[in-house]
Amino acid sequence: MSVFPSSEMAAQVFSSLFTVLLEDDDFVVRARQEGLSVRLVHTKPDCEIFVSPQGGVRIGEEQAGPAAITLRMSCDTAHALWMGRLLVPVAIATGRLRIRGRVAKVLELVPMLRPAFDRYPDIAAAAGIGA
Amino acid sequence: MNTALSESVSETALNFDVLPSGVEQFRKSAQEFARNVVEPRVQDLDQKPAAHFDWDLVGHGHRIGLTRAAIPKEYGGLGVGMLGVATALEEVAAVCPGTALIFGATLLGQAPILLSGDPRLQARFLPLFSGDEPVLACNAVTEEDAGCDLIIPSQAEHARNVTTARRDGDHYVLTGRKRFITNAEVAAFASVFATMEGSRGATGLTSFIVPLDLPGVVRGPVADKMGYRVCLGSELEFHGVRVPAEYMIGAEGEGMAINMAQSNMARAAVAGISTGVARSALERAIAWCGERVQGGRRLKDQQFTAAKLAGMAAKVDAARMLYLRAADKVDNELPPPVYEPATAKLFADRTAIDVAETALSLLGARGYLRSYGVEKTMRDALGTRIYEGTPEVLALAITDSLYAGGDEW
Repeated sequence: MSVFPSSEMAAQVFSSLFTVLLEDDDFVVRARQEGLSVRLVHTKPDCEIFVSPQGGVRIGEEQAGPAAITLRMSCDTAHALWMGRLLVPVAIATGRLRIRGRVAKVLELVPMLRPAFDRYPDIAAAAGIGA
Repeated sequence: MNTALSESVSETALNFDVLPSGVEQFRKSAQEFARNVVEPRVQDLDQKPAAHFDWDLVGHGHRIGLTRAAIPKEYGGLGVGMLGVATALEEVAAVCPGTALIFGATLLGQAPILLSGDPRLQARFLPLFSGDEPVLACNAVTEEDAGCDLIIPSQAEHARNVTTARRDGDHYVLTGRKRFITNAEVAAFASVFATMEGSRGATGLTSFIVPLDLPGVVRGPVADKMGYRVCLGSELEFHGVRVPAEYMIGAEGEGMAINMAQSNMARAAVAGISTGVARSALERAIAWCGERVQGGRRLKDQQFTAAKLAGMAAKVDAARMLYLRAADKVDNELPPPVYEPATAKLFADRTAIDVAETALSLLGARGYLRSYGVEKTMRDALGTRIYEGTPEVLALAITDSLYAGGDEW
């Protein structure tokens, strides 16, 4: 059973996480420079989020625009990843995290996500999602 | 042409003649490097003692970016992706695959750092490649008793005498010996795979970045090889080498998956090397058959020879198409795909051997002479099957993909 009881809960937590990222000036400046937009497709439960510095954070498949990078993973994988229990190279190498888009852009994106890693445990805990 | 129609054509047409501008620029500079720097010295280097290494040659390649082609621009690299690496290495390999492999092996050593997503590791190691002096890396997997067992997950438990790693405070201690490691003699660091002490076979395989100036690292001896003599393959021993824990890639026991990911990433590029080997043989055969007259006609005008040349050309083109597709997929997918790079390398390796053998026969007695170059191409072609996946390993990877079903996207 997923740590997320519903799609709504997953959407609330992950959209909060990316709202935090869009409050980070460094991230926004670099995302604009790189033309970076990210589509996150979560499964079990299903939850889709579209993030861009222009459009902010949008929830739902119908809200997604064309994204430079698409990440696909289960909600449990996302939780483990953001909590720091599952490392990015392991998630990628084992196929638990699958990414489509220019790999060069992905490689640049990962270090920019540091603020999200730092804040996620508090965001998840505030939503009642256990460690 | 009707505007709407031309728009719809441009949206759907594949363009086989135009590479992205940055990739094309890099390919051309690699071609110039191969023709102007490598070609004049390649015959001499091929006959040097096994341990001879031409740092000046590497320096020229370094200056055009061959040591940092896949590294992101923010760390001083060219950021041309695997498409850039593969097309450039085809150009270099068409003159000397051993030279191409020096840079290909460096990419392989860099790959775990690129895949790590760890900004500290990336900032520590990747800028090394953008200095004034050339820096090389290597990938240390193969051992005396374990080769394929370290890259086929189902065989991992049967691996014997694998290099071990043991956690000791904020370090790991590595003990063991690697064999046939390209660039080990000259690399600044190695991507090393060691199994956690106490685990069965290689089931605890873990990936580390190991600076080769650490105490306890011993390099050599250099293997005296049949081909690829310009690059050095040697042993690498680890006598209780203490590696900082932060130099581990991923997690303990996840080395097999990381090794496979980096292999899948690199196979498109090494397929480019094999294609370059085949192209070299084809070009020599075309030149010879265009001037040699037998029975009152040039060889190229004789039906039996024409059929051979046509078959060689088709194979070289097909090999190139396969590696371009693989490289493009690798540049746009994570984890790197299994199927396309494996099929590209399997086909390109076979093509290198077939085309070199046919070229050798077309040149007759001259093909057997060192001075005509095809003899070296034949020796090099046979080496393509050994590194980054033998035909047998590639066949298993391809067949697994055929039965795995497609990704959900």
